[in-house]
Amino acid sequence: MLRSGLYSLAAVGLALSVGVIGIVNFAHGEFLMLGAYLGYWLYVSYGIDPVAAIPLGAAAVFALGAVVYRSAIQRVLRAPELNQMLLTFGVSIFLQNLAIILWSGDPRVASVSYKAQAVSVGPFTVGLPQLVVFAIAMTLTLGLYTVLGRTRIGKAMRAVAQNRLGAGLIGIEVERVYLLAFGISTALAGMAGLMITLQLSVSPFIGLLYTLKAFAIIVIAGLGNINGVIYASLVLGLSEAVVEFYVPQGGGWSEGVFFLLILLVLVVRPRGLFR
Amino acid sequence: MIPRRAVSAVLPAVLLAAAVAFPFWADRAQPYYLQIAINIAIFAVLALSWDLLARTGQLSLAHAAFYGLGAYASAMLTLRARVPVPVAILAGGVFAVALAAGLGVLTLRLRGIYFAIATLAFSETLRVITNQLRFTGAATGLVVPPLLGGARVAQYLVILAVLLLMVLVSWLVNRSRWHFAFTAIRANEEVAASMGVDVVRYKVLAFMISAFFAGVAGAYYGHVFLFISPIEVYSLAVSVGALVAPIFGGLYTTLGPVIGAIVLRAGEEVLRSTIGGGYLIIYGLILAAVILYMPRGLLGIWAAIVGRRRPS
Repeated sequence: MLRSGLYSLAAVGLALSVGVIGIVNFAHGEFLMLGAYLGYWLYVSYGIDPVAAIPLGAAAVFALGAVVYRSAIQRVLRAPELNQMLLTFGVSIFLQNLAIILWSGDPRVASVSYKAQAVSVGPFTVGLPQLVVFAIAMTLTLGLYTVLGRTRIGKAMRAVAQNRLGAGLIGIEVERVYLLAFGISTALAGMAGLMITLQLSVSPFIGLLYTLKAFAIIVIAGLGNINGVIYASLVLGLSEAVVEFYVPQGGGWSEGVFFLLILLVLVVRPRGLFR
Repeated sequence: MIPRRAVSAVLPAVLLAAAVAFPFWADRAQPYYLQIAINIAIFAVLALSWDLLARTGQLSLAHAAFYGLGAYASAMLTLRARVPVPVAILAGGVFAVALAAGLGVLTLRLRGIYFAIATLAFSETLRVITNQLRFTGAATGLVVPPLLGGARVAQYLVILAVLLLMVLVSWLVNRSRWHFAFTAIRANEEVAASMGVDVVRYKVLAFMISAFFAGVAGAYYGHVFLFISPIEVYSLAVSVGALVAPIFGGLYTTLGPVIGAIVLRAGEEVLRSTIGGGYLIIYGLILAAVILYMPRGLLGIWAAIVGRRRPS
């Protein structure tokens, strides 16, 4: 269940990009992967704990996201949906293979000192890293909700999401809001990546997996519905845990759970469960 | 000046003759080239089958599913039921068609991005299932009996024939009333339906034809390279390749996907030996570049060059 926290952090950025800009970013997981590598290198080279690296990592991935937005995404904003999708798909393949060329395909593990520690929460015993990740992920996700709900820029984003033209007419700089939203979206992915460094191994291939899981979540929540992401993450996290626990050899089967959920939701209720 | 009509009649015949004669030379001189040619032909069949489906506006990320299912169905039939290899390859295509009919009906209502995500999910689900079942050899994969006793030249001619059939189907589709039906559906489904196009029928039919060729390509692949595993035949690289080649070559045409497949596979062969692991990076770059700068692919560029020289 605790992994739902990580899931929601990974997915909420994608939901932001879909909801505000209307871009379904297939490269979302690749930003997460890059964040994870950043966390790994910072830890191995400078001994910086992934948790402490969050501000730095977020800034770095934000900058990269802004570059990708300016150089590619911005040009297809008015293009057909499929072109947008294919473009981000291209970016995704590019980043993934760049990582393979730079750092090889082998998984790497950063062993933080408290990796194996466990704490008792009520009747349950959970790993300390997992708990930390859950707490941080939830804080960041809820933080995003607060930003969207309370601040000027958050309100501007919601306005643009609702009506691009109207928002432009009342003096919101739509282009800047898009840039910001995309940057924040990728930065959230980057932070989720740092959290992965804390508990799992890093490889160039994790990006796609998280892109797909994030897709599953936002499809369950309803495309563009940012508020449903937390519930949808719970649905995914819990169903995976149930499969792992009750099905023989569940570890392997649980990989298929999110795909099945996507298929089911899309076929039965394409607008999502939580709206 | 040679008349244009003569060129367009003679050129295909010359190319065909070269393609048929090629293995007899390559088998003796450069067996490695024959291998590459087989690879290219498989890839071209897959790319063209993808394009056929895309013409109805259904952008599939599930071609690995049909490819993989074809490979596995055919392998299982030869291994467990002792079915002769050529029959099994055809059966692989038929299995893929059955699967496509089911998936096609399920995803009928889904458009654009939803369709793409659903097909990707579907293809990955198949991979996970195959990876888990002991019946299909699980993650280890299967050793598959060879087609035609492993005679490379004959094998090449088989896939060439499949490719020609695929080209013929694609050409016929683009020359017949189907072309208008497909284009109408792609442009606007509601309008197409209100003009009397049987949207459901065409969409599912396109799905089934496309899946048949993808399934046959996958089955053939297994019996030529003699080993299949879930991570390989169901890999995303298969689906990505199937869509990058047509987009690169020129969407919704017969020639485009074939040219795209040839250029990409040949380029890939060079890259694989020079930069190794991350050679797929080129797919990413090409995809992004084509979308941003050359929306009609290589054929579009060709048309622009020819058009400039000969203003009409």
